Amino acid sequence: MPEEAAGARKVALVTGVTGQDGAYLAELLLQKGYEVHGLRRRSSLFKTDRIDHLYRDPHSPGCRFFLHYGDLTDATSLLRIVQQTQPDEIYNLAAQSHVAVSFEEPEYTANADGLGTLRILEAIRILGLAGRTRFYQASTSELYGLVKETPQRETTPFHPRSPYGVAKLYAYWITVNYREAYGMYACNGILFNHESPVRGETFVTRKITRALARIRLGLQERLYLGNLDARRDWGHAKDFVEAQWLMLQQPAPDDYVVATGQQHSVREFVALAAAELGMPLEWQGSGAGERGVDAASGKCVVEVDPRYFRPAEVNTLLGDAAKAHAALGWSPRIGFDALVREMVREDLAQAERDLQAHNSGYRYYSYHE
Amino acid sequence: MRALICGVTGQDGAYLSRLLIDRGYEVHGTSRDAAHASLARLEALGVRDGVRLHSMAPGDFRSVLQVLALVRPDEVYDLGGQSSVGLSFEQPIETMESIAGATLNLMEALRALDLACRTYNACSSECFGDTGDAPADERTAFRPRSPYGVAKAAAYWHVANYRASYGMFACSGILFNHESPLRPERFVTQKIVGAACRIAGGSREPLVLGNLDVSRDWGWAPEYVEAMWRMLRQPRPCDYVIATGETHPLRAFVERAFAAVGLDWREHVRSDPALARPSDIAVSRADPSRAAAELGWRASMRMPQVVDAMVAAHRGASPARRG
Repeated sequence: MPEEAAGARKVALVTGVTGQDGAYLAELLLQKGYEVHGLRRRSSLFKTDRIDHLYRDPHSPGCRFFLHYGDLTDATSLLRIVQQTQPDEIYNLAAQSHVAVSFEEPEYTANADGLGTLRILEAIRILGLAGRTRFYQASTSELYGLVKETPQRETTPFHPRSPYGVAKLYAYWITVNYREAYGMYACNGILFNHESPVRGETFVTRKITRALARIRLGLQERLYLGNLDARRDWGHAKDFVEAQWLMLQQPAPDDYVVATGQQHSVREFVALAAAELGMPLEWQGSGAGERGVDAASGKCVVEVDPRYFRPAEVNTLLGDAAKAHAALGWSPRIGFDALVREMVREDLAQAERDLQAHNSGYRYYSYHE
Repeated sequence: MRALICGVTGQDGAYLSRLLIDRGYEVHGTSRDAAHASLARLEALGVRDGVRLHSMAPGDFRSVLQVLALVRPDEVYDLGGQSSVGLSFEQPIETMESIAGATLNLMEALRALDLACRTYNACSSECFGDTGDAPADERTAFRPRSPYGVAKAAAYWHVANYRASYGMFACSGILFNHESPLRPERFVTQKIVGAACRIAGGSREPLVLGNLDVSRDWGWAPEYVEAMWRMLRQPRPCDYVIATGETHPLRAFVERAFAAVGLDWREHVRSDPALARPSDIAVSRADPSRAAAELGWRASMRMPQVVDAMVAAHRGASPARRG
């Protein structure tokens, strides 16, 4: 049920609405009674799986969820959509969000993630909305990179380690600058890793749960990973988008770390996911030769592939969200175990669907990186 | 040795050309459109014919790749890009593209060509933002306060990452303000010197400035290009703060410039808040001790000497060659 009375309906514009956070945030905003406009890139595929459950025919009465074609690399599209929708709140979640890909496509990453943020801020300013429209920028723990202190908080200096981190650093500071220079209500949420069953399949957590579920059902042989020792602070996207919304409801704009304060290694994530599937692993060897072996069958199911090592690794990230807790009253509800369990359950259900399709003679997709 | 200076027609490009030619380098320089570039500064230093000019659009990867493949330099000095903090508020996107976008193109082109080349990146004290009373050194966290500063911070981190990720010899010089007679009047220092000299010569123009209380570390550009060159002579690439280590309020700069031409600044200067930037830096303070220890570099000219030299050059007493 909408919490807000009709007439006072707020309008939100969400870039990256077809992504993990965009989908969870759009759902949250619709629940709170917002009219939600989502920005999506043109593609020859629909790519609207994550928001399918939110979609209503725009002709239907009372529809409050609308999609627009636009692109962070196209200033004209942003200007037009901001002008048309006159949003009270803009959530900039769109990005080339994959760290490893940013080493392959550094210029595109800088353009979409860095300049894209500036283009939205400029659109707000040019349209005279600086005093009215509130802006949320999806900043990231990758800013801390080669960490200067542990845990990381709002005052920890940045040291980005990838073109993605540098592009996001630009976006962070340009957001701060527009707040200071033009008095805009603009916030950075420095979000640590946040996952869910709709996390992109190329991100390590989803890659793990998806592959192990398929291995469990015999649809896949092996899972290849990079740095198993990388340690991350993993939370649930559903919790984290609530912090995004809370940041724009305060008396004054500020920047906040959003994290669980708990840290686990990639190896621990793999082990828990495998155990959850009733397939406990034994670890053998070390470094690039390390293998995860199914304890029951003796089959090697996890192997290290140096191809997934990055030119510069971020070894450890751990956030301190004390400020968000104190000022926003925010704390995460879903812990690491529950997160892994939910992701495994969803990926197992998908793998079962694929297996049934296969057994009935239908084609299913494997998808490859 | 062969050097490529990106942004060769600017103040630092001209002084660096002079220095490298004097040291026996074959010097190549780039400008967006070499055929229509202003060569006044190179001419002023007598190196117009000594520099081989190439057209290069720093934001166009193909253009960067082409010039590097042609020149195959031993050293690249990346001095190009939009250089005015004030203008960056008017043209934030062009500022980002010409600074951080250009750096990215340059590093990617060097990587693609696999050139064993040493690279200097012109970083800026604007990255630090307001330092307050604590002098900024190479370990001080950035807190930029303008689109120019944010773009320079991104370029700095690109350089640091390409060094860490691909083992490239690349240095950022975090240069504090450095002036010379080659500064255009869009920069406040030359605006002050130009007005003071004209008023002394009979002009009745007023000098209208923004906030006179801002404090900066002003050095002498010809000395600063020496520091750039020394960075690329080190055994290992590293980033360096380059500054005099002395910070003065703008008011003191104004006072010195007018005194140098025999005038009392208070009779000619007024402050107009409308000229203040949307967000500015109150105090910029530097600790250049790493450069002193590792590069053996120290600024010999401080603010008063810089002002005197700029005034002298403006009055035609001494050309820009000094230093």
